[in-house]
Amino acid sequence: MPTASRTGTAMIFPGMGPTPFADVGKFMVINPFARKLVATADRVLGYSLIDRYRRTEGDYSEYAQVAFMVNSLALAQWAQHTLGVEAELCTGPSFGEKPAAAFCGALDFPDAVRATAGFARLLTDYFSTEFTDLVTHSFVRVPEDKLREVLGELDERGETYEISCYIDDDFFMLTLREHNLAWLSPLLRSMGGMSLYTMRPPMHCTAFGGLRDRAEQEVFGPLEFADPVVPVIADQDGSLITTGEGVRTMLLNSCVRPMRWPAVVDALCEAGVGTVCVAGQDSLFGRVRRTTDHFEVVPVTPRLALQPRPQPART
Amino acid sequence: MWDQKFEDLLRGFLPFLGADEPLAQDTALRDLGLDSLGIVELLAALEHTYQVRFQDDALSQATFETPGVLWKVLSGLVEDQAA
Repeated sequence: MPTASRTGTAMIFPGMGPTPFADVGKFMVINPFARKLVATADRVLGYSLIDRYRRTEGDYSEYAQVAFMVNSLALAQWAQHTLGVEAELCTGPSFGEKPAAAFCGALDFPDAVRATAGFARLLTDYFSTEFTDLVTHSFVRVPEDKLREVLGELDERGETYEISCYIDDDFFMLTLREHNLAWLSPLLRSMGGMSLYTMRPPMHCTAFGGLRDRAEQEVFGPLEFADPVVPVIADQDGSLITTGEGVRTMLLNSCVRPMRWPAVVDALCEAGVGTVCVAGQDSLFGRVRRTTDHFEVVPVTPRLALQPRPQPART
Repeated sequence: MWDQKFEDLLRGFLPFLGADEPLAQDTALRDLGLDSLGIVELLAALEHTYQVRFQDDALSQATFETPGVLWKVLSGLVEDQAA
């Protein structure tokens, strides 16, 4: 539970989940912070982000990814301006690293747009020929001892796999070959577990060294990273990042190292954080027990930002 | 039809359902705001309230499609428990 001794605030940028245009389109058009960022993104990209996002199918298209980054950042700015949120630290699990890199001051916003769009295109290109049979499957209600049984069965089958995300004590994302899902899902259910979502392309695996190399050469390498104004907690191990080079390394390591949310929560607690502002269309990180048991959570969503707020009295 | 306890509990997980709107048997729960993590939270609340354990086929996403389907699965588990 939140304790009186932890008085600090951190900004959290959630990982990306499927976000239909209908859920955020109005926010992007109406909210002044979003409008300003969208206009800049349009100039950088050379196309209308809103038009492409509205017209393109797929949960993780380039346009959906850039829009998620833009909206997360706009919501953080809105929270600072409207709710008076002052964050001493920031973090971003998985996709959330990208808006975190902009929020902390390591990347200027146009470069954050270039990085997000460029990495989205790279993902599509890389996984069109590499690891085409791998998926990342998320499930919950499977404690670690049961998970070990599952992994033992995969070993017996001679299958390769990796845990890509540690979300909570009983909540994981596992990368494995897609054909395994036919027996994995019933096995998980027999243990009382529940499958949630299967992601394609997969993510966060040591096998993706080729992706990391290309991301360094083609996306993050050419960009200038400044030292963060707001220090960052790395989502891979909870370490404190205070240099621009550290932020770049975090983004690159995300290709090949698992995301460990419990380590991030521990680090935030040790740094004295008692309140977290979750800026974005979050469906996970601000809601799991690991987060709600340790912090006061302020979810800052497009829906909240669109609600009418009382105006200060005119004098 | 379900009991009041079920209705009260379920409504707590449906942010898009107004307090004065009826809850129909065949309404899509996802349209009323029940997302994946909401299902997990609802599941834990149902297990605690009714002292049952969802397992195997009861744990598929299909169980949580409508109030009618969910109640049917839940009442089956309660009956099995009592038998």
